[in-house]
Amino acid sequence: MVCIRQATVEDLLAMQACNLLCLPENYQMKYYLYHILSWPQLLFVAEDYGGKIVGYVLAKMEEDASEPCHGHITSLAVLRTHRKLGLATKLMTAAQNAMESVFGAEYVSLHVRRSNRAAINLYTSTLGYKIHDVEAKYYADGEDAYDMRKQLKGRPAAHHHGHSHHHASGACCSGYAAKPVEADTGTGASVSASASAPANAGERRAGGV
Amino acid sequence: MGSSLPPKEANLFKVIVKSYETKQYKKGLKAADAILRKFPEHGETLSMKGLILNCMDRKSEAYELVRRGLKNDLKSHVCWHVYGLLYRSDREYREAIKCYRNALKIDPDNIEILRDLSLLQAQMRDLTGFVETRQQLLTLKPNHRMNWIGFAVSHHLNSNGSKAIEILEAYEGTLEDDYPPENERYEHGEMLLYKISLLEEHGRLDKALEEMHKKEAKIVDKLAFKEQMASMLANLGRLEEGEKIYRSLLFMNSDNYRYFMGLQKCLGLYSEKGQYTSDEVERLDVLYKSLKEQYNWSSAVKRIPLDFLEGDKFREAADFYIRPLLTKGVPSLFSDLSPLYDHPGKACILEQLFLQLEDSIKKTGRFPGRTQKEPPSTLMWTLFLVSQHYDRRGQHDIALAKIDEAIKHTPTVIDLYSVKGRILKHAGDLAAAAALADEARSMDLADRYLNSECVMRMLQADQVGLAEKTAVLFTKDGDQHNNLHDMQCMWYELASGESYFRQGDLGRALKMFLAVEKHYADMTEDQFDFHSYCLRKMTLRAYVSMLKFQDKLHSHEYFHKAAAGAIRCYMKLHDSPIKATTEEGDEMSKLPPSQRKKLRQKQKKAEARAKKEAEEKTEEETTSGSSKSGKRQHARPVDLDPHGEKLLQVEDPLLEATKYLKLLQNNSASSLETHILSFELNMRKQKILLAFQAVKKLLKLDENNPDCHRCLIRFFHEVSSFPAPRTDTEKLIWSVLESEQPDISQLHGRSLIEVNQSFLEKHKDSLMHRTAAAEMLLVLEPEKKLEAIKLIEDSTNKLAPVDGVLGPVREWKLDDCIAVHKLLETVFIDEDAASRWKARCAEYFPYSTYFGGCRSSAVAYAVNDNVQNVPENGVLAYQEAKIEGSRSLNGKLRAFKDLTI
Repeated sequence: MVCIRQATVEDLLAMQACNLLCLPENYQMKYYLYHILSWPQLLFVAEDYGGKIVGYVLAKMEEDASEPCHGHITSLAVLRTHRKLGLATKLMTAAQNAMESVFGAEYVSLHVRRSNRAAINLYTSTLGYKIHDVEAKYYADGEDAYDMRKQLKGRPAAHHHGHSHHHASGACCSGYAAKPVEADTGTGASVSASASAPANAGERRAGGV
Repeated sequence: MGSSLPPKEANLFKVIVKSYETKQYKKGLKAADAILRKFPEHGETLSMKGLILNCMDRKSEAYELVRRGLKNDLKSHVCWHVYGLLYRSDREYREAIKCYRNALKIDPDNIEILRDLSLLQAQMRDLTGFVETRQQLLTLKPNHRMNWIGFAVSHHLNSNGSKAIEILEAYEGTLEDDYPPENERYEHGEMLLYKISLLEEHGRLDKALEEMHKKEAKIVDKLAFKEQMASMLANLGRLEEGEKIYRSLLFMNSDNYRYFMGLQKCLGLYSEKGQYTSDEVERLDVLYKSLKEQYNWSSAVKRIPLDFLEGDKFREAADFYIRPLLTKGVPSLFSDLSPLYDHPGKACILEQLFLQLEDSIKKTGRFPGRTQKEPPSTLMWTLFLVSQHYDRRGQHDIALAKIDEAIKHTPTVIDLYSVKGRILKHAGDLAAAAALADEARSMDLADRYLNSECVMRMLQADQVGLAEKTAVLFTKDGDQHNNLHDMQCMWYELASGESYFRQGDLGRALKMFLAVEKHYADMTEDQFDFHSYCLRKMTLRAYVSMLKFQDKLHSHEYFHKAAAGAIRCYMKLHDSPIKATTEEGDEMSKLPPSQRKKLRQKQKKAEARAKKEAEEKTEEETTSGSSKSGKRQHARPVDLDPHGEKLLQVEDPLLEATKYLKLLQNNSASSLETHILSFELNMRKQKILLAFQAVKKLLKLDENNPDCHRCLIRFFHEVSSFPAPRTDTEKLIWSVLESEQPDISQLHGRSLIEVNQSFLEKHKDSLMHRTAAAEMLLVLEPEKKLEAIKLIEDSTNKLAPVDGVLGPVREWKLDDCIAVHKLLETVFIDEDAASRWKARCAEYFPYSTYFGGCRSSAVAYAVNDNVQNVPENGVLAYQEAKIEGSRSLNGKLRAFKDLTI
């Protein structure tokens, strides 16, 4: 019914449109570009039989050297019209696998609104996430977020060192303020994870003189 | 830098540079001022101060200082570089490039400036320049990885892939055998995959494969590795090996259709158009049956066979596919099946199948031939499916009856209301559709999808104010009322622009269309930061595809719609110039010209003041509060033209329109609309040859299209009425037309009247073609107006054939009939004919509010209480719509009260 595949740059406009239809926390195109140009392996889309994008997952690697190597789900959405197909699970699984195999992530984290029971249920019972912490007033409207985490399975031997690959170029995230953007709505369909970091990719700084 | 200064000031100068780089602007300013107290005309200090002020949004001061600095020190590369940076920050890339080039004349080996220049060249696609600069950078610093990669990428972009490959190989040659270290494995793997894709792109598949085998251990992205290898093997005809890899990919993700297609290719069972011999169908059937056993959880395995199976086998497979999805209640089932409606014969088979399932469940509670009872919801989902089937077939009355039955069965399922709204929209009752969508929305206020759908329906029904209020429930961002624009919500801006346009509010319409255009300009801009970023990150495959995506960004559908909308607005503005609409405008028109000018100047000053105040406020906000993060926060500028009135005050609307037309011509050349707009615009501008070009393009694209026919006739008709050419230019134009005319085969030896007549003959069964011919008859022979109208009215609305047999639905489309009505009203200007047409179409489209069809909500509201006594089914429907209308009003009040987002 629906094809699950890695996203390409050509999908980004449709992903943005899908996000705007479903979720209250939205991003400018630059933030999508930032994701696909930083971790092209971590974006997946659900494409229906007519070629329309009906769901996506936008994920990233956290590049803070003080923490163990881990991934983060920035945003996940599935159109209400395409519920009950297990798309959210398939998208999440694909992104998690890529985090582990390509970047050697030890765990994956996400934020979810405390009130979003449908999403929490998906994350805990279907996908195996656990509540790690509560972030008080994470969302702009004052709602708390659960910081949820899922331990990834043992990493394949070839990637045991994975931990710090991307730290080498850690400069990439130095310029971004980590302003929490509100996240997530909805019941059922638009089960969504949340996001952080505004869309301010790349070097802002003009070259030194 | 700052070399001409004494030691103390030279140190201060270093402080400025450092402060600028670390965004400590106040500190930088202080240091600059300290130097300037002693050396008020020191060029480089003036420049740097300007640069810092630029970062603090004090543009005009910045430019002044930077220019003064440069004037005082023309031989300083710093001053030139800063000037370039200033232009760069204002997106004036061409100017910036000139400045950098001047800086490089003074200091040719300055790495910083070369790097900055290379970024601009990449951005502007000055590819030969980019290659040169990258070469220089590599020569200067060959020990930097980034310089090797940058040089290779520049050659690739400049269409010299083999050179790019050579450079990457040379780079690899500089590496030790045990490269990469642990922390660079990802980057190195990406570089290798990039090189392999380059080899593939240049047809060196064997070499690419060899490389893959050799470097497999060093490639981190195993998925990309496998996908690429499988596709190359398939292309090389090494099918057995390819098959093996595709099967292993399916094992990893059996929901990726591309893997199934790849597998089919390797088995010699793939046809682009989906056409297979019966033998191939049989083999495909066997293949998918075996795959089904292996991947029972994959929906693709079950869905794909519906594409190639025919007849009884199709029916059987469809039945098998549909049943569990009805039991489970999958809302997207119909949309999943709908591509099959384009396959001959399948829609009818599906209809029979659906009805049989419905019948069986109603009578026995079971699917045919089953002993197991279905849950009650199965009937509702079956009705849901059947309803959408009839909607697709254009039988809106049955579709509505079925969906009402489903709603009666389970009134709490929101999707039913959404679909009912969609059916009403297709049937032409836009107001009722919006009311239904609002009903759905009020059933789950936390679901933005329902909100979006409702807003869309409201805009389609021209309820723009209500739509905005509804949308805003989800788009508040702090104290910001509405962030739809900031978040680039283009569907909303387009739909609302189109609604404003329909309602004749050109200012607001333009504002919306230009907003979309701005988003695309911003997206083009977005790529800038990634030119250097990706070279460091080594995500080169993604980077190159991003550049290609950017190169055709303006061919995207949303942009096309926005540009077309803006062009229409400007042409309308040209045709009937807006008289001053605002109060001041009225005031102004009464004044004599000299005073009018004064008043205008006054207004401009007031605006500038307001803007400056707003900017100052912004600055306060920027400096207070959140400057900790070091990130500049752009508060939004005050909107000085919320209704787009200023947009209407352009000097020359056609000139504005031309800008957008050029973008369409460059990016949507295969669209009829592009050339129709070009024709309309150039005729208005009296650009005869350009209009002629548009006509030629149109005929080439589709000579049978009614609009193309219109343009052809109108062009030659108007040209024939021009006076004989006098000037040299006119004579030239004439001679071109004369020499080209024989190439237009339609015109061979015939008068325009004959051409129009033969077009009519050729397409006499089509309403839209007859209408075009009638309109052109009116143009050519205005005295034959009644004959022309008769041509339209004599058209017959036949039953449309379905799979070769006449079906239950007539041929004419609602939108076409509305277009004809508008034509009768505005071009033929014949009220009687228009109202006859309206009455006739009200019969064909009983739900249409436009035609006042008897089942539309437009009529229902007017009929009022008597409605309840009328037993007819359809009337009940709008009665319901009415009730829903009032109910959803309550819903809305609730929404505003309860929703705390």
